[in-house]
Amino acid sequence: MKKWHWILLGILAVISLIVEFTMVEHHGDYWWSHIPAFYIILGFVGSVIVIFLSKWLGKLIILSDEDYYDR
Amino acid sequence: MIVELFTIPALILIAGAFILPLLPRQTRGTAFILFPTIALGILWMLPEGSLLQATLANYELHLLKVDALSRIFGTIFALITIVGGIYALHMKELGQQTSALAYAGGALGVTFAGDFFTLIVYWEIMAVTSSYLIWARRTEDSDKAGMRYILVHAFGGGLLLSGILLHLSEGGSLLLSPLAPEYTPSSTLILIGVAINSAIPPLHAWLADAYPKATITGAVFMCALTTKSAVYVLIRLFPGWDILIWAGLVMAIWGTIYALLANDIREILAYSIISQIGYMVTGIGIGTEMALNGAAAHAFSHILYKSLLFMGAGAVMYATGKNKLSELGGFAKKMPLVVILYIIGGLAISGAPLFNGFISKSMIISAVGNAHMETATIILLLASIGTFLHTGLKLPYFTWFGQAKSEFAVSKIPINMKIAMGIAAFFCVLFGIFPSLLYNHLPYPVAYHPYTAYHLVEMTQILIFGFIGFWFLKDKLNTAPNISLDLDWFYRRPAHLVRAIFVQLPDRIFAVAENIMLDTAQKISRISRNPRKYLYYGDTDSTGQPVKTDGFTTPIHTAMAFILLGFIVVALFVLI
Repeated sequence: MKKWHWILLGILAVISLIVEFTMVEHHGDYWWSHIPAFYIILGFVGSVIVIFLSKWLGKLIILSDEDYYDR
Repeated sequence: MIVELFTIPALILIAGAFILPLLPRQTRGTAFILFPTIALGILWMLPEGSLLQATLANYELHLLKVDALSRIFGTIFALITIVGGIYALHMKELGQQTSALAYAGGALGVTFAGDFFTLIVYWEIMAVTSSYLIWARRTEDSDKAGMRYILVHAFGGGLLLSGILLHLSEGGSLLLSPLAPEYTPSSTLILIGVAINSAIPPLHAWLADAYPKATITGAVFMCALTTKSAVYVLIRLFPGWDILIWAGLVMAIWGTIYALLANDIREILAYSIISQIGYMVTGIGIGTEMALNGAAAHAFSHILYKSLLFMGAGAVMYATGKNKLSELGGFAKKMPLVVILYIIGGLAISGAPLFNGFISKSMIISAVGNAHMETATIILLLASIGTFLHTGLKLPYFTWFGQAKSEFAVSKIPINMKIAMGIAAFFCVLFGIFPSLLYNHLPYPVAYHPYTAYHLVEMTQILIFGFIGFWFLKDKLNTAPNISLDLDWFYRRPAHLVRAIFVQLPDRIFAVAENIMLDTAQKISRISRNPRKYLYYGDTDSTGQPVKTDGFTTPIHTAMAFILLGFIVVALFVLI
């Protein structure tokens, strides 16, 4: 990732926030509808959750050596 | 009648499978593309309704039934068979060509079947022909995986057929129509049979087991046809069945977790299919018009971008001979076009605006939201983030970027592979930008607009911050040479135990029984030679005269022969 990639992402994020606070009138009827920038939180926290959940389950039970079924 | 039969799109493809071997080798690839093209043209000319009936015993079969739902599925099946045919143009193996064509014919047949009997015939054609696409890889792994695949599908087909027969014996209609949401033995059997093909956990393990082991071109057909034709049947028979909501949510998360762990690139994509089918199954479970529209639209979109992704993975395997993230990396500059086309597919599956995943996935999520299921909505959004992480980011990043993790050469890939990917990518963008092209042909009228400020904000924020999450945690993702244990463990690991109990043990029991029988027979025959000998010992009688031991044999044989003859006469008399 080069510097301008991050700048581009930053600009997109700012635009999405501007649109959210100016153009979106109806936010849906969910419990999270009134949390500002909820999808930013969800995007980041969600990715952390699924990555660590899969890592934990992988260690706990799922992952095994490649020759597991040949032994 | 014969001419009318060829208005059935499925039969055009199946006839094609028989014609193909008669053509010169060089023309087969082109001819392959011709058949689904004709089928596509015909299925758009057919009017709606039940167009062709035949009678079998007392049953009236509806061989060709067309409505909006079957037409949209038929269209995408035919279209992807054309694209898959272009992708496979360089491949000259007749077996794969014919089986792929018949397999697509099976999927089209399921789509236009009006009754259960017609359905099950095509269902089984799909199972048999697709197995060959795994075996054609000709490795020990694919031989075994193909065997497991066909056994699972034979089992599933058996359940479906038993369910259908039971359904008929209960006075149910032979016609395909939504089943009442009650768990009778017949509807449960039909549901389980279809659930196996739709890869609903715990019946999903065959998919991730088999697809990564299929041939490069075969996997493109497989990822498009089997599960989606099952989704079609679910929409037909089980709309609004509550259990499907939860089954779909489990699928969405299950597929995500396994895809994040997988190391084999096509295994990531296979688990990502399970996750995506989860959205459709959830939509079918909700059963509103919008949800069913969403399921159909998502199946349509999914087939396009998923086959694009499988084609990309296949291109990597073709060029490098490798298929594991733990061995790839650092050669994006050697196949820039493939990388770009793959990333279009990756963005489409992640639901990025302007791509076709956005217009269908958001429809299902909105339908779930409209049903006031907040937990379900959050789960689907999490699965959506996961999809972006594994298919949109992890796979391309560790395949093409970063450090090369082993030595490998990158050979050129055939131009037709790139063209096929280009066509699929074109459609992904086309339907993404002009959603009405798809919406106008969905089974129910569509009042949904995907491009609202709210949806754009939602997806943009999720994707940007999902990406940031990935970038900082990418080293935590598994790219070690591991395999994932899934529920196929239950029939793979104890295989030797199963063999011991169900094969070797009966074998031994039969062997012992056989020995006892032979031994007994031998003893009896010895007795019958001279029964007197067993009444008292010795070769002399009470007066001391030697006994002529063989003197009794002839009379006893004669008596036995008469008795047996008597049995035969009586038996014949009774029978006649």
